[in-house]
Amino acid sequence: MSEPSPEVYEQGRGMDAHNQAMREIRARKDRTYDPREPTRVWLDEDNTPDGVYDSLTIILNTGGCRWARAGGCTMCGYVAESVEGGTVAHEDLMTQVETCLEHERDNAEDPAGQVKIYTSGSFLDEREIPAQTRRAIAETFADRDRIVVESLPDFVDRGKIADFTDRGLATDIAVGLETATDRVRRDCVNKYFEFAEFERAAADAREAGAGLKAYLLLKPPFLSESEAMADMTRSIRRCAGVAGCHTVSMNPCNVQRHTMVEDLFHADGYRPPWLWSVADVLESTADADVIVVSDPVGHGSDRGPHNCGECDDRVQRAIKDFDLRQEPAVFEQVSCDCERTWETVVERERSYSMPLAR
Amino acid sequence: MTDYFEVHERDGAGRVGELRLSDSVRTPALVDDVLADAGSLWPGEREVPDGDESVLTVLPHRALPGGTPEEVREAFAVEYPDVEYPSAAVVAPDTAADASAAGTDAYILSNAQELTGHAGAFVTAVVRTREAIPADSALYLPGVATPANVATLAYAGVDLVDTDHAVVKGTQGRYLAVDGEYFLEDLTDLPCACPACQQPVGDFGREDCETHNVNALRAALATVRERIRSGRLRDYIEGQARHEGWLTAVFRRLDQQYGYLEQRTPVLRRAEVTATSDDTLRRVEIQRFAERVTGRYHCRFDNPLVLVPCSARKPYSESQSHGQFHDAIQFRAHVVSMTSPIGVVPQELELTYPAQHYDAAVTGHWSATETAFVADVLEAYLRRNDYPRVVAHVPAEYREICERVEGRLDRDFEYTVVDHPTTGESLSNLASTLSTELKYGKRERQHNTLRAVADYQFGDGAGDGIFEELRVESHYPKLRAHDADGEQLAALVPEYGVLSLTLAGARRWLDSDAPTRRVEIDGFVPHGSVLAPGVVDADDSIRVGDEVVVEGPHAFAVGRAEMSGPEMAESTRGVATRVRHVEER
Repeated sequence: MSEPSPEVYEQGRGMDAHNQAMREIRARKDRTYDPREPTRVWLDEDNTPDGVYDSLTIILNTGGCRWARAGGCTMCGYVAESVEGGTVAHEDLMTQVETCLEHERDNAEDPAGQVKIYTSGSFLDEREIPAQTRRAIAETFADRDRIVVESLPDFVDRGKIADFTDRGLATDIAVGLETATDRVRRDCVNKYFEFAEFERAAADAREAGAGLKAYLLLKPPFLSESEAMADMTRSIRRCAGVAGCHTVSMNPCNVQRHTMVEDLFHADGYRPPWLWSVADVLESTADADVIVVSDPVGHGSDRGPHNCGECDDRVQRAIKDFDLRQEPAVFEQVSCDCERTWETVVERERSYSMPLAR
Repeated sequence: MTDYFEVHERDGAGRVGELRLSDSVRTPALVDDVLADAGSLWPGEREVPDGDESVLTVLPHRALPGGTPEEVREAFAVEYPDVEYPSAAVVAPDTAADASAAGTDAYILSNAQELTGHAGAFVTAVVRTREAIPADSALYLPGVATPANVATLAYAGVDLVDTDHAVVKGTQGRYLAVDGEYFLEDLTDLPCACPACQQPVGDFGREDCETHNVNALRAALATVRERIRSGRLRDYIEGQARHEGWLTAVFRRLDQQYGYLEQRTPVLRRAEVTATSDDTLRRVEIQRFAERVTGRYHCRFDNPLVLVPCSARKPYSESQSHGQFHDAIQFRAHVVSMTSPIGVVPQELELTYPAQHYDAAVTGHWSATETAFVADVLEAYLRRNDYPRVVAHVPAEYREICERVEGRLDRDFEYTVVDHPTTGESLSNLASTLSTELKYGKRERQHNTLRAVADYQFGDGAGDGIFEELRVESHYPKLRAHDADGEQLAALVPEYGVLSLTLAGARRWLDSDAPTRRVEIDGFVPHGSVLAPGVVDADDSIRVGDEVVVEGPHAFAVGRAEMSGPEMAESTRGVATRVRHVEER
């Protein structure tokens, strides 16, 4: 028997503290949601290993992420959008799916080739989405080419994935890896799994004939701008080295309601990343053997990734352009006076002096 | 052990210190060029670096920025190693006390961004941190300094800053000055003579703006250091901080943290107190004088009281007007001067700091705050001191105060001024109203003066305790106190109006009931000065400039404190006490 090391003790202590703090923060929310309504649904375009596809993107309102109920990730406010009190019945979930299909029929000429389903939790967790519902949803979308479902790596297993691959769907599992650095994932994000678990999930998915899409978080709390960029660059390259992980989606952190990040933001302890940082990371990892995309949410606002307010839309357009073409030269087309401010921040900001500029 | 930082000059909570690197740095200062960051523990494990004496090494740290929940601050606080080289620890205000166990030379507040612009939070955090870390360690507020705020930061007790914020502002086209921030594009003139500003405004770009901002910050820091050295930072702050609301709020809120400032404010100094705003009334020096005059001093004369207005010339007795009052009074009454911002000054204390060390803006009109302050002090003074008669020889604006106090005390003052206190009629009124009173002698006057100063300096009743039997030699103001056997006990120091004791005087002080201020030292015989490492313990009540008794197994000495008692006890560097007389034992 090995003695518990102080490091292990510290790990547990840090996670307990994060969870306790996050539970208190989340307790401030007072909205409840209708279990028959999806959280959100929209149509967009995605770069996939099979080319650019129209996508129907669905955020299902499930019982919510179990980890979030324990406290959960420091930046994630989606739990606030889940149903109060627990599980959503099969019938209600199918009603949500029907609402999404209606939205698609109302807004698109043809059904999208790709369907992406997020739950703000794990679609493959049967306590969120029962097996019966999973199979019914697979059946509903069996006529499409591609399907993406979100899940924590723990719930990724061949049997569940087969529900989709057996119906001829090119299947991707979207995993909120956040970072390839276990320490950052644990201490800054407060997510409990390790990179090794992601690698295992990738191997299982691959054996089941599916692919993996890694969602990475640019600038979790407690990291300076330059630390965040370095961590992202390293993470993209490590993901590129994982067989089965064909795409990385870089999510610049935004300030969501009822999160620790929001508390930090209000107390001048956090600033979302600069769009220049997003562009810089995309440009510098363009040579990596993986598709890297980014869809900055809330760009240009104080709560979202932003620059000076003058150039945000232009830089955002370049990023979206890069998503589809993976062409680093797109960033040569944009410039602004605030690049010098950003460079100064990258050079000078320390985690103990941040945020150096708003 | 803080081995690499030493405080040389103190002015309230502000200090001029020395970061003792291989090339030493005078603080308050920029640390950009001497900082070596060993890195954050948030993204990765770090080795404790080997470090060296040319830089201040920021030990591997976890920053706890503003908004970090308390549980998280506690769980992720770093235990810093005790290292042999100049080092700094990153802390939050509530983790500073624990972090100070390792004895680093400097502390970095990682929620500085949360504090600037918010006076209440700033004052609470800086006071809390300063009180948690040793006095002889430096406090670094990163990423926030500007030419406009740096004097107030230093006044609150910050020692180290950097150019980061000033440079970022430059990149944004913000032109920084001690009077605030300008949009570069709005400037028609460059209001600065630094090298970067030696060009037409049209050619002046953002890079120039960055350079200027850094130059302006350097100049502002030099001003701060000079102001601290001359003991006049507060006078500067009362004017300069007014350019930004939050900075004014900071120094006002600090005035409400009286204990924090009082402990750090010298009891005497050469520098002038410039009384040009109501804020001056809240200064420690002013409050302390009023407190001692109404709480420690008591009048030993049996004669009537004459209240007179202060004079511009100090000490008052050397002024023309007070000369005229004296000619009319002829030692038949006890003279107390009424003044803003001091309150009331009994004649025996006219030399005592800051009674002859202030200069007020004289307009002939007093603000409501001044009137209220002087009235409160006069009322407290008269409640403590019982006079057979109170004669108010004062002009109209003072009379209003007197009448207010008369009402509160329910007693009648006699008014002798017609038109102006120095008119012939006024002076003859004064003389005639006192003509039947008995005069007091020179001996009584001298004895009462020495005893009054002792009361003021050492505590209520000290004058009688220390000078039980008294013989006075020499002439005012250079009075010397001797005992019945002719041994000298003390001398009045005319520049500050305080007593400096001999060893015999120090023994009398110890034997008296007055609270003594003792510095306990190790087994050595101090000559010239006692250094902080030699101090075993010191009374909390000791302030810079206080007379102190120094005692150790091998020495008995008397001298003047160069640090407060708490600072002596916790410091590992610097001069704690200047020794005047010492004997081995």
